[in-house]
Amino acid sequence: MSIISAQNLTKIFGSGATAVTALDHVNLSVNPGEFVAIMGPSGCGKSTLLHLIGGLDRPSDGKVVIDGTSIAEMNDDRITELRRRKIGFVFQFFNLIPVLNAIENAALPITLDGVKPAEAQKKAAEWLTRFGLSSRLASRPDQLSGGEQQRVAIARALAAEPALILADEPTGNLDTRSGDEIAGLMRDVAKKYGRTVVMVTHDPRIAAYADRIVFLKDGKIVDETLLERNNDGGAAIVAQKIREIGD
Amino acid sequence: MNLQLTLAVRYLAGRKLRTALTTLAIVFGVVLIFGMNTVMPTLIAALQANVQGAEGQADFTITNVAGDSFPADVTSRLQDIDGIRAFTASLERAVNLPADFVDNNPARPDRIMAVNLIGIIPEQARSIRAYPILEGRYLNDSDTAATVISQTLADAFSVKAGDSIRLPSISGLTELSVVGILPADIGPENESVLVTLPQAQKMTGESGNVNIIRVNVEAFADMARRTEIQGKIEAALGKNYRAGTLMAGEEMFGTMELAQIALSMFGALALFMGGFIIFNTFRTVVTERRRDIGMLRALGATRRTIIGAILTEGFLQGLLGSAIGLLFGYWMAFGVLKVAQGPLSAFVNIKLGTPIVEPGLVILSILLGVGVTVLAGLLPAWSASRVTPLEALRPTVTEVEFTRQTGRGFWAGMVILVLTVLAILSGQSTLILPGGILFLVGLVLVAPGLIRPFVSLFGRVVGFATVRQGIGGLAQSNLTRQPSRVAVTASTSLLGLAVIVAAGGLVTSMSGTLLDMLQDSLGSDYVYLPPSVGFWGSNVGAAPELAESLRAVPGVETVSTLRFASSQASGQVVSVLGIQPDEFQRVSGLVFVEGNKSAYEEIASEHALIANSVFMIGTGLKAVDTVELSTSDGQVQYRIAAVATDMLNAKINTVYISQDHLQTDFGNTEDVFIQIDLREGADREAAGAQIKALGENYPQFKVISGVDYYSTILAQFKAAFSALYILFAILAFPSLIAMLNTLTISVIERTREIGMIRAVGGTRRQIRNMVVAEALLLAAIGATFGILGGMYLGYVLVTAIDVIFPMGYSFPVSGIVAAIVIGLLFGVLAAIIPARQAARLEIIQALRYE
Repeated sequence: MSIISAQNLTKIFGSGATAVTALDHVNLSVNPGEFVAIMGPSGCGKSTLLHLIGGLDRPSDGKVVIDGTSIAEMNDDRITELRRRKIGFVFQFFNLIPVLNAIENAALPITLDGVKPAEAQKKAAEWLTRFGLSSRLASRPDQLSGGEQQRVAIARALAAEPALILADEPTGNLDTRSGDEIAGLMRDVAKKYGRTVVMVTHDPRIAAYADRIVFLKDGKIVDETLLERNNDGGAAIVAQKIREIGD
Repeated sequence: MNLQLTLAVRYLAGRKLRTALTTLAIVFGVVLIFGMNTVMPTLIAALQANVQGAEGQADFTITNVAGDSFPADVTSRLQDIDGIRAFTASLERAVNLPADFVDNNPARPDRIMAVNLIGIIPEQARSIRAYPILEGRYLNDSDTAATVISQTLADAFSVKAGDSIRLPSISGLTELSVVGILPADIGPENESVLVTLPQAQKMTGESGNVNIIRVNVEAFADMARRTEIQGKIEAALGKNYRAGTLMAGEEMFGTMELAQIALSMFGALALFMGGFIIFNTFRTVVTERRRDIGMLRALGATRRTIIGAILTEGFLQGLLGSAIGLLFGYWMAFGVLKVAQGPLSAFVNIKLGTPIVEPGLVILSILLGVGVTVLAGLLPAWSASRVTPLEALRPTVTEVEFTRQTGRGFWAGMVILVLTVLAILSGQSTLILPGGILFLVGLVLVAPGLIRPFVSLFGRVVGFATVRQGIGGLAQSNLTRQPSRVAVTASTSLLGLAVIVAAGGLVTSMSGTLLDMLQDSLGSDYVYLPPSVGFWGSNVGAAPELAESLRAVPGVETVSTLRFASSQASGQVVSVLGIQPDEFQRVSGLVFVEGNKSAYEEIASEHALIANSVFMIGTGLKAVDTVELSTSDGQVQYRIAAVATDMLNAKINTVYISQDHLQTDFGNTEDVFIQIDLREGADREAAGAQIKALGENYPQFKVISGVDYYSTILAQFKAAFSALYILFAILAFPSLIAMLNTLTISVIERTREIGMIRAVGGTRRQIRNMVVAEALLLAAIGATFGILGGMYLGYVLVTAIDVIFPMGYSFPVSGIVAAIVIGLLFGVLAAIIPARQAARLEIIQALRYE
């Protein structure tokens, strides 16, 4: 059974003459353990798709089923709980709370779930250590580099042991080397730690770390590509695909 | 530590300057409320201790309910009451002494400014308490002009047993032979001068009267038995008497309690303004932290968690502000009491000591400080909970309000303003009085909608002044992008400055009327002035012979005297002033609120009185009613002939009756205040010399020319008005905090923008001037609203006081000028720190700012 099932998903912004269809009857399935990248030109609806999957926004039409449960009928409290327990988010701008340190940021989802801070931070520390940040647990975001901040954000996304990780341009604010590190980390999250990862990116190099790439254009899925892991030219293949689809 | 508390503490600590500024708003309010409510009770307690010091060791103290004297034979009713072991009657009067009376040394500050003249029945008095004599002997029943005084008084007068002292009395200075010395008095009360009862009666003109009976009950009586005996005493004496505590000095208590209410209202207003500031800050905080809040929501924080986090921050700030406010409030009270000791001692012998802190007041102050802060944070907290998770994904953009500000709130405000203006035009005080607050509310509601037009209007001036710098437009647009925030800041300034303008209106209107009244009331050529004008009961006056002697002076046309008795009417203590209606009108006069001068004839010919407005309001009586005044012989009915007031007695319940009726019903013939007018063409110098010479034997009076007295009172008014202005100016202080807060926040928000301006060539000076220009625009808007609100509020205050004190409304030019000056000055002051911060931003860091 797929962990994500988006059926006929549509999102329209505005109304009347100024209405914009960001997503147009999109159907998407993602299996457990898959690492899927969503690509497309600016304004194609990729971030909108991610927001709808993650329950951050409501569709105008269609439905999203996460792990067998449709989120359409859920009220705000239930969706919030879903985000807390079943989904982890990683964002382009890291979005760490500036007044909390690394371990406190990473422990946030479980602390919000009512777990005692000490216990929550113990779990968070485990993830931070796995990501090479054992010496930076007490550092504030402004004391960390971009790459370090994003690793804290990924640890935060994993702290509550969610089944699904949604990442919106996780490398968009990083230099090439840090970007590669993070992309590699995202792949580990899927393959080593067994989570399903859906990542939005505009960078073919980063997309090449995924198992499957879904291409969007003008709010519709226009193509999909499976990448073979032993093919080192993954990035080139992706770039070629993008050229074919065109802006 | 729970997450909400952690976030609250970290956010507060992360923006120390802003936290300090917002907390200051609460500190200010709590200081005023706590400080003033500590000063007044301490003052009142010290005064009561002074009064009650005379209690001695009696179980009960019996007095007339009106505080007046009564026939000594009342004591016969106590003879057969079971349970009374002993009793003694006495006549006690505080005698205010003129300056330097005791030591005759103007260079040395006076320590003793009043004494208690106590007339006792010597042996009877000893049955209640002991009088240990250090030197000489105790009083005998047969003594006449003899006295026993304390060592303290003996040292002050530099006398010993066998010497003599002189005291003011109704027949002039009375010499008393010091027959004995008692130990030094410990306690806050006046020094005692013990004489025999007949001697005291002679010195005060209270023949046959006493004013206190002290009673000791049987030994080992428990509470129930004492209550039983007290009941029997009161039953035997009747309803004109009570067994309990002395309540002399009611007038002073009344004034102090009024002052306490007024100062509490100041504190409440300051706290209210603090709430505005907190509200503004939280609104900005929510805007600034939209991304953080969105992130928390994206991670699974419920709306309740978000609300809790914001309110926790408010709670902590309120707690901090209240704690600091309590500390500073105590120091303020300490300082005020220290400073007040000197001037207050001129009126009454009183030792103030350290502030008395009531636990209830501490708790109330904390509740108010925290309550206002949390309340102010409610709406922003709710607004924060509405932030969607998607906000977490948007880059930081300074919020710009594109929507029009002329929604329902604006139109509601316009309707309120129109109605309140119509209320003024109607002239009905019942409509005008509530209109004051409503007008301010209306201004606050329309403010957001008026920001853009105002900024555009004032911006032209700023633009003109800064044309070479090109920053005028930037400053304007900085304000118009967030009209609602500017409106809240302007509303805080509005309140503070409106109070200043209103004060100006009140002062201008009052001074005009008061000076006219002063001229009427005190326009006589000469005045015999007692030490405590208005607190008539504490003065020793003069027997009628003095007035007769003054009438006999060549050139004197009119002598008008005031006589005093204390009474009760409709449950209220009232000053009864006896006047000679014909003479009184000639040298003085009352300002009639209801009725007219024909009332003078009525009070002369029948049992009628003229009441002042305070009395009418306090008792709820109407001008056609009759009222019963308590006398020592029972109740006497008087018809209210008119309602009028004069300057000297406006604050306390006062009724004016004829001196004939005062003598018949109250037995008083003592003149406590004398006004003298000379004939046209009289030899003023000669007459003046004789008038002053007669006064020498009556040192309880200061003989002063009418012109000099007018100048003295005028100077006092000016001092009082200046003090009032200063107090109101203090209220404008929160508006300074509000402006500083808003400007600081707006600079922080526009960090990236400021970086951009610098990057494209703007100088640090231009950035600084942009912030200053913004501040001046903000101040101008606040001042405009403040002036409008203040003019209305001033009109309301004058209308309200007109009920007690008739006066016309004068346009508050001085108040308006003061508001403009203070408003603009505060604007400039508020800009200093934010302007410097903005100018110092490093370009690259600013451009990277998130």
